[in-house]
Amino acid sequence: MTVMPAEGLFSLMWLLIALPLAGAAILLFTGRRSNAWGPYLGVLTVSASAVIGVLLLIEMMGLPTEERTITQVAYQWVFIGNFSVDLAFQLDQLSMVFILLITIVGSLIHIYSLGYMAHDPDKRKFFGYLNLFVAAMLLLVMANNYLLLYVGWEGVGVASYLLIGFWQQKRSAAAAAKKAFIINRVGDVGLSLAIMLMFVTFGSVTFSDVFGSATQASEGTLTAIGLLLLLAAAGKSAQFPLQAWLLDAMEGPTPVSALIHAATMVTAGVYLIARSNVIYNNAEIAAMAVIIVALITIFMGAIIGSAKDDIKKALAGSTMSQIGYMMLAVGLGPIGYVFAIFHLLTHGVFKAGLFLGAGSVMHGMNDNVNMRRYGALRSVMVITFITFMAGYLAIIGIPPFSGFWSKDEIIHAAFERGWFIGGAAVLAAGITGFYMTRMVAMTFFGKKRWETDAHPHESPAVMTIPLIILGLGSTFLGMALLFWGDIEAWLEPVVGYESEPTPLPTSAYIGITLAFVIVGSIIGWITYARREVPIEAPQGNWLTRAARKDLYGDAVNHALVVAPTNYAARALVWFDARIVDGFVNGSAAIVGGLSGRMRRTQSGFIRSYALSMVGGAVLVLLALVLVRI
Amino acid sequence: MNTFTAPEIDYVAIAPILIVAIAALLSVLTETFLPRSVRRPVQMILTLISLIGALIVLVINRDIRTITGGGAVAIDGPALVLMGTILILALLSAFLVAERSLDSLGDSFAPSAAALPGSVDEREFSARGYFQTEIWTLFLFAVLGMLAFVVANDLLFMFVALEVMSLPLYLMVGMARRRRLLSQEAALKYFVLGAFSSAFFIFGAGLVYGFAGSISLPEINDALASTAGETLLIVIGMAMLLVGLLFKVGAVPFHQWTPDVYQGAPTPITAFMGATVKVAAFGAMMRLLYVAFSGIQWDWEIILWAVSILSMIIGSLIALTQSDVKRMLAYSAIAQSGFILVGVVAASPSGISAVMFYLIAYGLVTVGTLAVISMVRDSTGEATHLSKWAGLGKKSPVLGAVMAVFMLSLAGIPLTSGFVIKFSVFAAGIAEGDTWLVIAAVVASIIAAFFYVRVIVVMFFSAPNENTASVAVPSIFTTITVAATVTATLVLGIIPQPMIDLLTNAGIFIR
Amino acid sequence: MDPIYYIYLATLLFSIGAIGVLVRRNAIIVFMSVELMLNAANLVFVAFARMNGNLDGQTVAFFVMVVAAAEVVVGLAIIVQVFRTRASASIDEPNLLKY
Repeated sequence: MTVMPAEGLFSLMWLLIALPLAGAAILLFTGRRSNAWGPYLGVLTVSASAVIGVLLLIEMMGLPTEERTITQVAYQWVFIGNFSVDLAFQLDQLSMVFILLITIVGSLIHIYSLGYMAHDPDKRKFFGYLNLFVAAMLLLVMANNYLLLYVGWEGVGVASYLLIGFWQQKRSAAAAAKKAFIINRVGDVGLSLAIMLMFVTFGSVTFSDVFGSATQASEGTLTAIGLLLLLAAAGKSAQFPLQAWLLDAMEGPTPVSALIHAATMVTAGVYLIARSNVIYNNAEIAAMAVIIVALITIFMGAIIGSAKDDIKKALAGSTMSQIGYMMLAVGLGPIGYVFAIFHLLTHGVFKAGLFLGAGSVMHGMNDNVNMRRYGALRSVMVITFITFMAGYLAIIGIPPFSGFWSKDEIIHAAFERGWFIGGAAVLAAGITGFYMTRMVAMTFFGKKRWETDAHPHESPAVMTIPLIILGLGSTFLGMALLFWGDIEAWLEPVVGYESEPTPLPTSAYIGITLAFVIVGSIIGWITYARREVPIEAPQGNWLTRAARKDLYGDAVNHALVVAPTNYAARALVWFDARIVDGFVNGSAAIVGGLSGRMRRTQSGFIRSYALSMVGGAVLVLLALVLVRI
Repeated sequence: MNTFTAPEIDYVAIAPILIVAIAALLSVLTETFLPRSVRRPVQMILTLISLIGALIVLVINRDIRTITGGGAVAIDGPALVLMGTILILALLSAFLVAERSLDSLGDSFAPSAAALPGSVDEREFSARGYFQTEIWTLFLFAVLGMLAFVVANDLLFMFVALEVMSLPLYLMVGMARRRRLLSQEAALKYFVLGAFSSAFFIFGAGLVYGFAGSISLPEINDALASTAGETLLIVIGMAMLLVGLLFKVGAVPFHQWTPDVYQGAPTPITAFMGATVKVAAFGAMMRLLYVAFSGIQWDWEIILWAVSILSMIIGSLIALTQSDVKRMLAYSAIAQSGFILVGVVAASPSGISAVMFYLIAYGLVTVGTLAVISMVRDSTGEATHLSKWAGLGKKSPVLGAVMAVFMLSLAGIPLTSGFVIKFSVFAAGIAEGDTWLVIAAVVASIIAAFFYVRVIVVMFFSAPNENTASVAVPSIFTTITVAATVTATLVLGIIPQPMIDLLTNAGIFIR
Repeated sequence: MDPIYYIYLATLLFSIGAIGVLVRRNAIIVFMSVELMLNAANLVFVAFARMNGNLDGQTVAFFVMVVAAAEVVVGLAIIVQVFRTRASASIDEPNLLKY
């Protein structure tokens, strides 16, 4: 593939990032006085980026396929010996679709936030953070090397952290922000080690250099890189075993959940793996690990989504599950990459719509998130209801809504790999039908179970217009991308595409999937719409109880990550204070022949420091002498 | 009678050192002969002018590469860069020493170090408004020692420079105005352990002299090159020299003085020594290893490998649970020494320039961080306990943002100088094949990021409470230091290339 | 005669000094132990100076003595100050700074 320098309209690509970044800088540094006009500036910068994105898309479509990878070196940042790090962007078909998703969904969510955050005293800060997030996310997908990608990766992490904890007065929000941060650091360790390993192996971290010489590296190295990247992806995309933060992240304002924790940031892991496709194509074990992680997460997410009464957390469970599908698709290799991205796009739109719909419901219900206190809202919130239904039909995969096309392709690809993986994917699709039906039934159907002071009403136009646009997207985007946009051919040059034969005709798989979805939905309908929903949650069976506790994800994370770190640090301090000193005093006493008196004496710190120095010196000398003998 | 031949000394080349030396001597005379009322301004002006003057002369001298003073002094690229670094960092710390508006009682130093803590004398001195001025004399001598340390080209000069640098520091550490018991304790610990480490240094020097028959670093190298086989004596001597130097940089297992001294010392002095001693000691270490001991590179690389890994890991891990900001910074200093050692082990021109860049950027951040710490106060003086920093970022956003920049830089986050310096030492390490060392460093830097970021979290994501300290309004002095260091941290992070180019050209030690 | 015996003696003195630092609690004695270590180094220097037949080592020995004297000035100032504050010259006494 030839890499073209940026010319003409493409030389403007840095503006995509620069605009929201400038917006963030202005909003965060001008202080309170920008509260009045700040939010509009925030909307403006992101919309301008969206417009540039669309122009670039049109320009790119006019180019021949092999000339669609364009790089721009904005600034040569660090250059040491043979190593250099540039602030350089790469625009190709893969980053193009991400740019459009981020800027367009981002703009809609900015507009929606005008209404949602209208009464917040710190709204300029909120828009500043949102702008910062968009800039960082664009940097992530436009970087031409892993290091710059890492900068964007950390940037979205910071922005996400700031936004989850935006309502710091809520203790739970602050805790959730901290948790997201810590768990993400674990993933980041993976990414930084992977980058380091690439640097060591290939002497460069730019995509073109790494992928160009990937086949020359040993399979062991590639497997290690692949597994480390998977760790990173799992952290950012809330995949098993680093999934626990996403549910807590719902403490943030709802537009944040829609933008960051449904449409864009959580898909960064999928992007990372799709971008690194050359590595996974040459490292089977790593690819298999991706599939396993994905399958576990698909089910965990679905089960959690089925048990939560908090509408946003139920949606978060569903997000985990859907991202699991995307991860599954990227794990499948060239048969799945394009469908992973396809599903990522449709999911980004319909899940954003669902989240904003949930936000609209909460807005009308005094910010109550408990679905057991909803019910029968379809008549009072008509627009919200209709758009939510579009998202609902899209996510469970009913034709012709957009989720159908993308999810169906993934399931089909899974069957191409094997009946077990395919079967699991179909089963999970059935559970999706169940929990989404449960959500819709509890929220919009059944009897009123409102709090006494709740006066549900439709949200203002500034909130419903984005809902309508996203609802239309949920309905038509899938068809548009597949039939008119020809997504397979579009992405194929970057991620590769091939198809393998399956034992049954394609229509059979569609039929099976639909059957499962419909059965799941009917069960959901019977349980939650036809019967009375108790206001207090029943105790439930063991699975429900476990699912309400996020399938003990916290406990696992705590045991695996948080606790060992704390223990290690504590043990070291203890070791330093007790063992070293004790040992030091003890041996000092023996050396001096003053054991009795010394042991009873309070430990003298200067002397133990001195002994540590002597000990170090003796060790060094012994080592040097022993090496010579 | 034999004719007398004066030794050839290039006075121009060593002019920066001479300027500081003369200023230090004048400072002694000032202390002796001038009345108390004028001492402080005279001392201050003397210090600032001499530091700035030395810096100017240094810039004029930038192309000089020579060995002079009978082979005792080497003025080369690294020497010039490191001298410049020391002078700039000393100047910025001198502003902190001069600061008088932060504390309601005056500056940070006891009016009379000889008066007993809490005694009638002490109250009397305070009440009369006396100020400590000896601190400036000590300061100048310490700077003199550091400058000499990085140019020293024989073991004797190096040892004398080491002591001229260290002895004033021992005293300065014990001169805090508040919490004098802690301060005195820190001075005692620093002194006893420092003297102990000096003994190792000089004994090692003796053994090396025994092997090589010379104390001049290039001649030691020649002796190593011409002797085949038995090198045990010089290896032991080299290891003992290293013990002395590793003590000064606070590397594990010679690190235990660091937290106590950082915490006990008056904050301006912590800033001064935290930044400049590292520069001087690493400069001397590199000259010693590269010029004299390149023949036994394998031996010292092994030592430094182990010390580097231990420092990074242990420093980072212990810092995780620290609750005092100054103490946490001390453990961080231990870890940072480990990172710098990665570059020292690389032992290549790119390694040398990476280490120098690291020292510059790290020194600036250290001075800046401690300047910020000196501004955060409650009724008992500086509030260094982390719990008192809760919500500080909301109470004063500018200070919070500045501190956040420093913490991010220490954590090595891109767009701050901390990232560039870590990248350069790691790149140098990889280029020389120290892959596993670099991997350990990456792991340690990730652990380290936790406690740096914790400070930011405490400042910005905790609600202020009644214990939250307030931020004292500084005079122009501290403001200059903070502004200069934060600007430099960001500029070096965003446009590092000019500095990298400058250092690449200066990365050769002459023999 | 082999200079190695001088080195053995110096090493012995150095070790006695180091052990003194480790086991004695009186700050003055600890300090004297450090001085003993410095003098052990002096012995090494003068022994090797004689062996090598140049004066470098003897020069160093003089400088070390001067440095040791300077160290006494600084060290005693600190120790006396600590003694006056705490009424004890024990090196174990000041242990407020720890962990």
